[in-house]
Amino acid sequence: MQLYVRRRLSNYVVVGLSLAATAFGLLFLVFVLGTLLANGIGALSPTLFTLATPPPGSSGGLINAIYGSLAMTAIATLIGTPTGILAGTFLAEYAHNNRLGDIVRFINDVLLSAPSIIIGLFVYAILVVPMGHFSAWAGSVALAIIMVPVVVRTTEDMLNLVPSALREAAAALGAPKWKIIVTVTYRAAVQGMLTGVLLAVARISGETAPLLFTALNNQFWSTDLDRPMANLPVVIFQFAMSPYADWQRLAWAGALLITAAILVLNIGARLFASWSGLEK
Amino acid sequence: MAVEAEMVAIADTKARRRPAGRAGDPAFRALTVLFATLVLLVLSGIIASLVQGGFLAFAQFGLNFLVTSVWNPVTEKFGALAPIYGTLVTSAIAMLVGVPLAFGVALFITELCPKWLKRPLGTMIELLAAIPSIIYGIWGLFILAPFIQSHVEPFLIATLGNVPGIGVLFAGPPLGIGVLTAGFILAVMVLPVIASVMRDVFETVPPMLKESAYGLGATTAEVVWRIVLPFTRVGVVGAILLGLGRALGETMAVTFVIGNSHHVNPSILQPGTTISAALANEFTEAVGDLYQSSLIALGFILFVITFLVLAAAKLMLIRLQKGAGAAA
Amino acid sequence: MSVSLASTTPPRSDTPAQPGESATVTPFPVKVQIRNVGFHYGKFEALKSVSLPLHDRRVTAFIGPSGCGKSTLLRILNRIYELYPNQTATGEVLVDGQNILSPGLDLNLVRAKIGMVFQKPTPFPMSIHDNIAFGIRLYERLPKSELDDRIESALRRAALWDEVKGKLRQSGLGLSGGQQQRLCIARAIAVQPEVLLLDEPASALDPISTQRIEELIAELKSDYCIAIVTHNMQQAARSSDYTAFMYLGELIEFDETERIFTHPREKRTEDYITGRFG
Repeated sequence: MQLYVRRRLSNYVVVGLSLAATAFGLLFLVFVLGTLLANGIGALSPTLFTLATPPPGSSGGLINAIYGSLAMTAIATLIGTPTGILAGTFLAEYAHNNRLGDIVRFINDVLLSAPSIIIGLFVYAILVVPMGHFSAWAGSVALAIIMVPVVVRTTEDMLNLVPSALREAAAALGAPKWKIIVTVTYRAAVQGMLTGVLLAVARISGETAPLLFTALNNQFWSTDLDRPMANLPVVIFQFAMSPYADWQRLAWAGALLITAAILVLNIGARLFASWSGLEK
Repeated sequence: MAVEAEMVAIADTKARRRPAGRAGDPAFRALTVLFATLVLLVLSGIIASLVQGGFLAFAQFGLNFLVTSVWNPVTEKFGALAPIYGTLVTSAIAMLVGVPLAFGVALFITELCPKWLKRPLGTMIELLAAIPSIIYGIWGLFILAPFIQSHVEPFLIATLGNVPGIGVLFAGPPLGIGVLTAGFILAVMVLPVIASVMRDVFETVPPMLKESAYGLGATTAEVVWRIVLPFTRVGVVGAILLGLGRALGETMAVTFVIGNSHHVNPSILQPGTTISAALANEFTEAVGDLYQSSLIALGFILFVITFLVLAAAKLMLIRLQKGAGAAA
Repeated sequence: MSVSLASTTPPRSDTPAQPGESATVTPFPVKVQIRNVGFHYGKFEALKSVSLPLHDRRVTAFIGPSGCGKSTLLRILNRIYELYPNQTATGEVLVDGQNILSPGLDLNLVRAKIGMVFQKPTPFPMSIHDNIAFGIRLYERLPKSELDDRIESALRRAALWDEVKGKLRQSGLGLSGGQQQRLCIARAIAVQPEVLLLDEPASALDPISTQRIEELIAELKSDYCIAIVTHNMQQAARSSDYTAFMYLGELIEFDETERIFTHPREKRTEDYITGRFG
């Protein structure tokens, strides 16, 4: 009986610790979001969306940074989505028991978690240096490079979920493989692939490190993709680290905006996935 | 007869039949191969650009670059020791704090929590992972660092700071900004990453195996210790390494709170720097070829370390998958 | 011999036959001649030198315990097995005298001529209209009105028209299982094949849907050479003219269905039919 009591006790300890760890994790989510709301809501104002970032010590808005983030995320998505989908298609449809496929899959998974600041250095070397200046183009390319591995991964997973009977049925009608993929397999997997793209967009819209050396920042309103461009993450970084209260307030407001956007994208992607009957 | 007319029509359309665009097949395949190789091209491009960019520094300082901690842009003397040390120490703290927490969370989700709670809880953990690092950074700078400065550090200095041997780790004034705070933020950031991979790993254990142990009257703790962990050992290590890879390369959250000081200080309460923080802080302002090259060389070192860690993580997770496939 | 597949088709009106008559005599020409066909999954030999004819406008059923190779044989007849690596077929399958296993042939035209319906319904994730149009558009560019006519006639042939005519633009996934299977049959015949391969087409369906599929098969055989794999012996007895019994990758017995089910020559056939194994 002694032994039994000891076993029960040790079990309670383990269960208790596990519960505590979970509570701790959730507490942090609440804590981070709570302070974000507390500091961010106070800093929200209509001028955020009408004025550009101010010089030190005066007030202003974030419109140039919001525009820059939207523009660069959009361009990155336009580059990254087709690239990722085609590469993922290769892995799912052409690369079973294929050496190249194994290597690409492996490298892609490593790139998925590779430090994003390294991507910034890479794009600096291949675009900023040859062009001679920082630009929104370079920022977009850096974001696209971060996006691609995510899309490749989800595309491959989602295409693999499509029953092979569907491919066989199309092949039995005499459809060539490319047509099967484009008209049948993609259509069967489209919700999952879209979810993957949404998650990838969420991922890049908060990325800061790769933009530091590529898009840099721009204090003024600019839509020229060939010039440095303001963007929320880098503005948040610079303003938060500054000693000016006005700038810090703007940093909180920007942080709230970006987090809200990312959470909406994330939750939206999940709802979309479960709504279309795609449970993991 | 109508039937006959139809038959003639059918014969007619069959004669017109053309192969359904088979030429598209090799073309489409080639297209997908092209984009797949782009992934490899990015990797080789990264390596090539880092090697090329860092070449000057390596040529100038040789292996000394790795073991000296001088970082002086004025005299153009650079050594990578401080950032390497900072990267390793912050990641070590992150692992020390984050891994047990992540293990607890994964355990709770797979073994303990009621079924209806599984999905919402999993989603919350994934949301925690989705919050961008800049948010953790600003939160760390304004909320966590002051808290650690006023509550945690005085306590550590008063207690562990007096223990002979390890006291040196907790020496100096409480600053809030420093290696400990950075490590702690990293712990919070890698927690969801490790927890969600571990959860997936735990879920590869065949339910029958667990059920038979529970059937013998084993407690949850015993099932986890004797069945789940031995079965998933490789995958658990893979999950931890994946988290480590993230911690090593994490930039923004660390940059906010580490203080950017190129000194190797044994005390974790003092400011330091990491490779990524040094890059983020200094790269765009680095004047002079050697300065910039030294920073890129730092990037190269970071890339090599994280690549090795992440590759090992991936290999372990693949091994677990194959093992589970064979057992099924 | 650069004769295209299509032009070797004899005009249907040549052969004098009354569809629906009993199959005691065989005025039905051999449409498909299977000769010494063998098959390997990797190193595993799944079929050993199978030979038999499939007659035009007759239904040939393949029966046998699972794993006997009946589905494998069917998958050879339109070379669908080639989707997967490490699967190889040997021997000859002559369709109208032409060996469709010979490597030079246009695979897609072979498949256009030999339609297939699978065990589980496989509607594509698109509208009912587009499901049928998918196959037609692979081979022909038709004006819209003509395309719609073809779709209607395929759906009518598959006895589905009346149930779906009002909702052609709705997804094919919204139909019931039995309707989905008939949609797949309509999709297959819209391409105007000459041979229809049915791989356990009713095994995933309820009894009423199964009955409708069987009725449909009886109707379709007036136009096609049909091969059906089934694990249901009553189904084979009811709807086929010829039956092939297979076991462990070998063809044990092939004969008119009536004979197989009344006077099998082989002991193993008899055992299987009477339910003593399998």
